[in-house]
Amino acid sequence: MDIKTFEKSEYFVNRELSWLKFNERVLSEARDKNLPLFERLKFLSITASNLDEFFMVRVASLKDQVHAGYEKPDIAGMTPREQLREISAQTHDLVRQQYSTYNRSLVPALEKAGLHMITEHEDLSEKQKEFVDRYFEDNVYPVLTPMAMDSSRPFPLIRNKTLNIGALIAKKDKKKGKEVLEFATVQVPSVLPRVIEIPSEKADTKAVILLEEVIERNIGKLFLSNDVVCAHPYRIMRNADLTIDEDEAEDLLVEIQKQLKKRQWGEVIRLEAEEKMDKRLLKILKTEFDIKNEDIFNIQGPLDLTMLMKVYGLDGFDQYKAKKYIPAPVPEFQNDKNIFDVIREGDVFLHHPYMSFDPVVNFVRQAAKDPGVLAIKQTLYRVSGNSPIIAALAQAAENGKQVSVLVELKARFDEENNIVWAKMLEKAGCHVIYGLVGLKTHSKITLVVRREETGIRRYVHLATGNYNDSTAKLYTDCGIFTCDERYGEDATAVFNMLSGYSEPKRWNRLIVAPIWMKNRFLELIDREAENAKKGIPAHIMAKMNSLCDPVIMAALYYASSCGVKIDLVVRGICCIKVGIPGVSENIHVRSIVGDFLEHSRIFYFFNGGMEEVYMGSADWMPRNLDRRVEIVFPVEDEKIKKQVIHVLDVELRDTLKAHILQPDGTYEKQDKRGKILLNSQMEFCREAQEAAKKNKKDQKEHSRVFIPAEPAEDPEATE
Amino acid sequence: MAATVFAAIDIGSYEVSMKIFEFSKKVGFRELNYVRYRLEIGKGVYSSRRLDHEMVDAICMILKDFSRMMQEFGVEGYRACATSAFREMVNPVIIIEQIYQRTGIRVEILSNAEQHFLGYKSIAAIEAGFKKMIQKGTAILDIGGGSLQVSLFDKDALVSTQSLKIGSMRIRERLRELEKTNNHYDQLILEFIRNDLTAFQRLYLKDRDIKNIILMGDFLSDTIFRGEREEHIVTMEEFMKRYEDTVYKTEQTLASEMDIDQEFASLVVPTMVICKSFLDIFQAESVWVPGVSLLDGIAYDYGEKKKFIKSAHNFENDILVASRNIGKRYSSGKNHIQGTTKLALAIFDSMKKVHGMGARERLLLQIAVQLHDCGKYISMADVAECSYRIIMATEIIGLSTEERQVIASAVRYNTTEFVYYENFDDGAGLDRERYLLVAKLTAILRLANAMDRSHYQKVQGLRAVLKDRELHLIIDSERDISLELGLLKDKVDFFEEVFGIHLVLRRKRTA
Repeated sequence: MDIKTFEKSEYFVNRELSWLKFNERVLSEARDKNLPLFERLKFLSITASNLDEFFMVRVASLKDQVHAGYEKPDIAGMTPREQLREISAQTHDLVRQQYSTYNRSLVPALEKAGLHMITEHEDLSEKQKEFVDRYFEDNVYPVLTPMAMDSSRPFPLIRNKTLNIGALIAKKDKKKGKEVLEFATVQVPSVLPRVIEIPSEKADTKAVILLEEVIERNIGKLFLSNDVVCAHPYRIMRNADLTIDEDEAEDLLVEIQKQLKKRQWGEVIRLEAEEKMDKRLLKILKTEFDIKNEDIFNIQGPLDLTMLMKVYGLDGFDQYKAKKYIPAPVPEFQNDKNIFDVIREGDVFLHHPYMSFDPVVNFVRQAAKDPGVLAIKQTLYRVSGNSPIIAALAQAAENGKQVSVLVELKARFDEENNIVWAKMLEKAGCHVIYGLVGLKTHSKITLVVRREETGIRRYVHLATGNYNDSTAKLYTDCGIFTCDERYGEDATAVFNMLSGYSEPKRWNRLIVAPIWMKNRFLELIDREAENAKKGIPAHIMAKMNSLCDPVIMAALYYASSCGVKIDLVVRGICCIKVGIPGVSENIHVRSIVGDFLEHSRIFYFFNGGMEEVYMGSADWMPRNLDRRVEIVFPVEDEKIKKQVIHVLDVELRDTLKAHILQPDGTYEKQDKRGKILLNSQMEFCREAQEAAKKNKKDQKEHSRVFIPAEPAEDPEATE
Repeated sequence: MAATVFAAIDIGSYEVSMKIFEFSKKVGFRELNYVRYRLEIGKGVYSSRRLDHEMVDAICMILKDFSRMMQEFGVEGYRACATSAFREMVNPVIIIEQIYQRTGIRVEILSNAEQHFLGYKSIAAIEAGFKKMIQKGTAILDIGGGSLQVSLFDKDALVSTQSLKIGSMRIRERLRELEKTNNHYDQLILEFIRNDLTAFQRLYLKDRDIKNIILMGDFLSDTIFRGEREEHIVTMEEFMKRYEDTVYKTEQTLASEMDIDQEFASLVVPTMVICKSFLDIFQAESVWVPGVSLLDGIAYDYGEKKKFIKSAHNFENDILVASRNIGKRYSSGKNHIQGTTKLALAIFDSMKKVHGMGARERLLLQIAVQLHDCGKYISMADVAECSYRIIMATEIIGLSTEERQVIASAVRYNTTEFVYYENFDDGAGLDRERYLLVAKLTAILRLANAMDRSHYQKVQGLRAVLKDRELHLIIDSERDISLELGLLKDKVDFFEEVFGIHLVLRRKRTA
């Protein structure tokens, strides 16, 4: 497979810009008037928290590169400096869109729905003013710490991501005999609710005000002897993350490590300020934070829109929220049978959140109690607070089972959380391992070893999503249960490897990163290309969260150029360009953004009719394929294979929530005229519910109704 | 429960490994887990003959992990074996006790002969190919870190086996300094081992026709022959290609090509050169790398003992043939030995209830008979001592050092005065149990040997009948056996003393 010719930078999109496109797609959900109003709030809130993370991790990393003098262009041929420039321009647009959505669309709609958002304290009624001032004195004032800057007091430390109010205070300079302006700042306390419900003026409506408005209104009380000239909220983001993002290329990591000393700790990389902020105040902030114009965002509304999640959580307004979906029971487990007996009857397929996550929790729970079970092994990446799985694992250890748990401490967002769980598990008697140095363990696998009549049997659960019962209600993920010995043997080998022992000499079924996976995918892609060249139909379908591995993408271009039909469902980053003549004309890319977060990774290869289907934890990203422990597993049970192919098929037929990548790099929803309207996520909900209902009904019929035997028909007699 | 779970542990020169197996009558044995940890234990030991603290810590840490993994599969029995690195130590017993106290795992040190016998059982574990191959002249070459073992097979039986102290790690350590000043590392190794090779060729190979070579040990199947299918036979041309492909490369290149540790990669060239040298002197046609390890042999041995596996190949016979060949080398009288063996076994078999010994002891007795007068080759006057020394210096495949010691002692006391345990101080360090075994074997050996004193095999048949505490030996002979009967007196006394029974000797009444 000669893919060198397909590695040209003009064939690829920069990953950061592609990510911004993804956030735009989320924003488009917030703008979709067909959606229940409060769901739109949620989407807008998500775009805000997404953007925060993007700055903290990705933009920070690019800034590091610039400081380190790293000039190497990315796959799209852009240097870090060029990327930052483009990101700045596009994020400014994105933020403008966020606030136009908020101001022009959502606030008026909320008003209509009976929620009055008071965006400026000046709009309060007398009665409300009284309430607000009282609230300030009772609850807010005691926790405020105003800080001023003058010749004896330096500019205070403003903490990352906090919301603050900056003010200018007029003071008499006795020497000069004239008034001077001094800077003062106060943090909006994060311990108090940001959204405060206040008495409404109208019946049947609610009114809320934001905490910073309450403080702004009463700011005079903080600087009693002086005049407050102006007061405006602002918020900064710092490059204060100690770790270097694992997404970066190896040589860059080395480079940055070398340059670590030169790194500007705590450098401010973004300043959000209220649009109408006093120019003098802004200038002070700009100087003190040493920030350039392109990194300043003038915000036309409340800062930090993640507070909309709190608005979503307000009581009432049920008619403006989507009905909560309750996962359907998994048909195979709709009975009183022992979970191991069920798995022995055949592999079981799970599709969350359409189907319930309970069997996965039960798997560990029953294993903890089952007298035949000798050992339980599991990888934990991100666990929910109060996780039932953790409790079951601890219980198993107490029951004398051998429990080994791999806890990945470096999972983003959850580091501290994970350390707490790890310690708790250790106390309960579990053997806790922390994975391999330099490789995040991202694979999701559980192994139960059970002694049975016929000998040792291994039960394995393999999945695309984390063992987290909370996110399993929101993320779409797939999993299988199996007791196929070949998977069992591989599972044991995975845990040996994770404990620091040598890798096995060969794998039966599992494809494991970082060593074996990438080549395996390349072989599978190449096989399709070879078939296409021979004139045999060739088809690749793949679904993942992100696609940015240069080698895999070049291989896909090569396959496309050979005539392989390639359908990709990529939720987030996708650095591929479609429709390049002779390169990617056969590639179709879509992104599904819906109520649930698309999270499963599924890979399909037509293989001349002997279809092969794989699922797993890995995206086609360098970090997944080269720097993580990931597992991709083949789906071999014919029935499950059909189910998985059906998942891809429905998503590829989605007409409502799919955004199609265009040759110009934009994503567009399809023209619905003449097409069957299909929302794939809703379709899966319906199917799962129906399957459970049908199964229940069948069972009823089988158990309750006695069917009288009929005499066999005599074939001769009918003639 | 019809199945049982067993763990085999190997503490080798460069790797600590464990396999967990499930045995059942139905499927024989099935591998459940195979876990390996690279640890160059041999490196320090071969030079200083001691194990440093960090290494002991590392071994204990791994064994603790292993013990946990055993529980994960409900392991009921295990056998942990240490090999050449431990044999080379000055204080292995102390280290083994430390390991036991820290991990609860009892490690036994395999003698070279035991180790290779087990290794060779592991090949038999993948029976079909082995059985077919050893019909023709076959050599098994097992290259370890410290030493290598070469065993020759012909017509379904082991004919000879020798250990040469030219293992890959030992060679690397010895040549480490020279390597820097020499451009042709392969030539250097070749010269270094040439002497040993020619000696082997002259003394043991002679004109045997060796067609096939089985390369043992998982080092090769982990590196140069990785990805080889188990049943694949490599032709000489293919082997030479691999040889050319590897020996001129640096450690770094090999390490990155094979994706292994550089330390580990540094063993590749010595191993390949050794292989090629042997292939050259054998002028073999094909090479087989079955990729089995000692662990499989340990498991196979266990399965055999517990009767989960019935082997088509008779391994005991291999041990017997090998010891017969040793006897032959020292010109033992074939007929006398055959006659004595018959007598000794007849006695042994008739009084199982009295002596309480089993199949393994029966085998030892047979070997003792076979070697009981090998010392004559050195000196007619001092047969006992010379025989003892020869046996102590000769490796017998399949036997542990302790077992060999039992045989040597029994042979020594066959013709010299027996020394009682309380006065026992010959430096051999026999424990109480083995001492008793020596006494029993000596008593039987003396009796059987005396019955053929004239070496004329006058006794044609021997029937032994045990009646209460009396053992009747009914001798069938048409010749004059007065010499034998006359000399038997003191042997009978010792026999009666050891077994606490009365011995009645009589001639079979002729009709």
